[in-house]
Amino acid sequence: MTCMISSINPSIKMVAVLIPGILLGLTYDVFTPLLYLMFILVVTFTMTDIPITRWLKLFSPFLILASGFAWTTMLYANQTFSGGETLFSFWIFEVTAGSVQTGISVGLRSLCFGALSLMFILTTDSTKLMLSFMQQCKLSPKITYGILAGYRFLPIFQHELQIIRQAHRIRGVTREQGIKGRVNQFRRYAIPLLANGIRKAERVAIAMESKGFTGDPDRTHYRKMVARKRDWLFFVLMIGVLMTVFALSYHLGYLKIFGRQF
Amino acid sequence: MKRLNGRQQPVLDVRNFSFSYDEIIEQPLFNRLNFTLNQNEITLLMGASGAGKSSLALCLNGLYPEAVEGTASGDIFFQGKNIQEFERGELTKEIGIVFQDPESQFCMITVEDELAFTLENRKIPASAIRKKIMEMLKAVGMEGFERHKIHELSGGEKQKIALAAVLLLEPKILILDEPTANMDPLSSLEFIRLVEEIQNVPQMSVLIIEHQARDWFEMIDRILLIGRDGHLLADDVPKHLFTKQKRLLKREGVFLPGEFSEVPAFRESRTQTSPSAEYVLSVRGLSFSRRKQEVLKNVNMDVRCGEFVVIAGENGAGKSTLIQVMAGLLSPDAGEVFFSGRLLKKWKENELRKRMGFVFQNPEHQFITDTVYEELTFGMKRNGLSEQEMETAAGELMEQFHLKELASCNPFALSGGQKRRLSVATVLDATPDILLFDEPTFGQDAATTMELMDYIMALQSKRKAIVFVTHDMDIADAADRVVVFKEGEVAFDGIPDSLWQKEELIRRARLRLPTRLRKKEGG
Repeated sequence: MTCMISSINPSIKMVAVLIPGILLGLTYDVFTPLLYLMFILVVTFTMTDIPITRWLKLFSPFLILASGFAWTTMLYANQTFSGGETLFSFWIFEVTAGSVQTGISVGLRSLCFGALSLMFILTTDSTKLMLSFMQQCKLSPKITYGILAGYRFLPIFQHELQIIRQAHRIRGVTREQGIKGRVNQFRRYAIPLLANGIRKAERVAIAMESKGFTGDPDRTHYRKMVARKRDWLFFVLMIGVLMTVFALSYHLGYLKIFGRQF
Repeated sequence: MKRLNGRQQPVLDVRNFSFSYDEIIEQPLFNRLNFTLNQNEITLLMGASGAGKSSLALCLNGLYPEAVEGTASGDIFFQGKNIQEFERGELTKEIGIVFQDPESQFCMITVEDELAFTLENRKIPASAIRKKIMEMLKAVGMEGFERHKIHELSGGEKQKIALAAVLLLEPKILILDEPTANMDPLSSLEFIRLVEEIQNVPQMSVLIIEHQARDWFEMIDRILLIGRDGHLLADDVPKHLFTKQKRLLKREGVFLPGEFSEVPAFRESRTQTSPSAEYVLSVRGLSFSRRKQEVLKNVNMDVRCGEFVVIAGENGAGKSTLIQVMAGLLSPDAGEVFFSGRLLKKWKENELRKRMGFVFQNPEHQFITDTVYEELTFGMKRNGLSEQEMETAAGELMEQFHLKELASCNPFALSGGQKRRLSVATVLDATPDILLFDEPTFGQDAATTMELMDYIMALQSKRKAIVFVTHDMDIADAADRVVVFKEGEVAFDGIPDSLWQKEELIRRARLRLPTRLRKKEGG
């Protein structure tokens, strides 16, 4: 396919995903996020090559989370949102049409957010993202390469923690009870972990400098990250559809921002 | 050895150079060093661990003393120009360093990006970068690896990439800081041959920092020896140094290449005991997988009481995993481990730890408390010893491991050798029947290694079984039995002498002959 999202410039993609995420967060009706969620799903399944099963696996936690949000919002919706007739009530809860609507809206918004994040994460190479931040957003090379070097540390840290756990087990340190014990145990893990982490970070920094890295923004870029027409096209698509959805929902009288009906 | 054509123009000239870390100013790391590095010459810098050899490398390329809290005096001239007159980042392009730890000298994920990083720093136009990367990968024998992720490479491959990245600087001086420290024997040899090959092409000066000369010996022109007091003790051609200055080298804890060594190899210094027929640990049909990858495949192995067993094999062959399973730190997917005739999982954790000791590669991982004394008595306290008993027992251990004056020091503040000694001492607080060691001699100098081996031999003579994972073939040579791993399977299990006859197997498992047999190797 020609228009794969994975080839879209990461910085632009990020903005194109963040704006709808924030704006949808302000809408309190059901229609707007529902429509946009459908659009995100269409984009995800036509313009990326993420296998459906993998996507579903990753998306299912969002479903659970979203229904949780929806449920609690429905029960605890405050005065502004809980207008309308009472649908049913039990114990101390009174569920009104307004609170049901707000609840479902919250759930749908969480799903939108989840779907947008997944679309971004699953199609973006972390190295390219940082390089693009440096080349498009003028992030300083010091920070860029610092973070890139940091990526390599996560698995190393994990491995090291596992070894320290083992080593302590050998010494007969048992899982400690109580707050004091927990604090002690944390300290025992943290000291060697940090000592090693700092030493490794220092070594990496020195190795980078030894390869002629000075943090000077004036450097050549082997992997040129550019913003081409199609990157902007993607941006326009994401934002354009968002605006259309807003307009449509306004036109149909559904649009609700912060409890205010338009 | 290359011929030196008369007097050479020095590339680097070090005059009266001293350096000390601010916290220990009264004892400079190096004191009034005077030496030169010449074009097209290979120099070996030797000295005990902790002598500051690595710091010197960073002083030479101008990163120290700025990067640390340290003070330097004296002058260093690069091609006649004082290094202090160089702009930031200018000198580092002339003097490239390959560091010891392959894990912490990369900042990118893939090989290609890492190599491009160097070239981008040099402001090479983007269009020329790919060609240079490809040529360099070919030069270091890593063609076709450009898309590979660095963390998935083996130790030897990582160091080749590190070398490639540094060579892309096109430096006048190449510094190698113990580059083969954590490689299996064959990878180490391959790397050394690669350096030799590469040095022959451009007019480059090479400085190798190592505490053992043995494999580099053939190609080095000159040796510099830095003493524990920070003085330059010798600047000489290798043959002369190794024949005339043996006492000096020994005092400084430096390994002599086998043919010059008078110290008996570990093998000779050891009194062979006949192990009993009784098994202390048995492994039956063991399999273990990590992330769907089989690390151990149907492994059977026994350790007898009082036996010294070495486990050898290339990196990633499953050696460390095996001893972790043996110690009950990992549970196998299939198979059983028996300890003292009883299933390992039937043992109470507390009892098991008293009777089985495990020493990790990095001693720091084992430290739990704030002082050496508490560290030694930690286990005793848990076993309910009285204050009096603990004091005597800890006193004995400190005496034996030369830690007496350090009783109240923080374990993390000790030197490398002291940390190693403490980590061994802490597993001896109870009375273990078996001790498992995971590459305990990694990064240790001759003196520390020798000392550790002495302790181990002494322990073994007390009928304690010792299991050692190591790349050091001289240690393997001293074992009662060697078990060789190849891709998670036992490829050999027998006495060292019969292993040394299996040339094909040695090559396949990426091992080498021990020093005493190596002369025939023709290398």
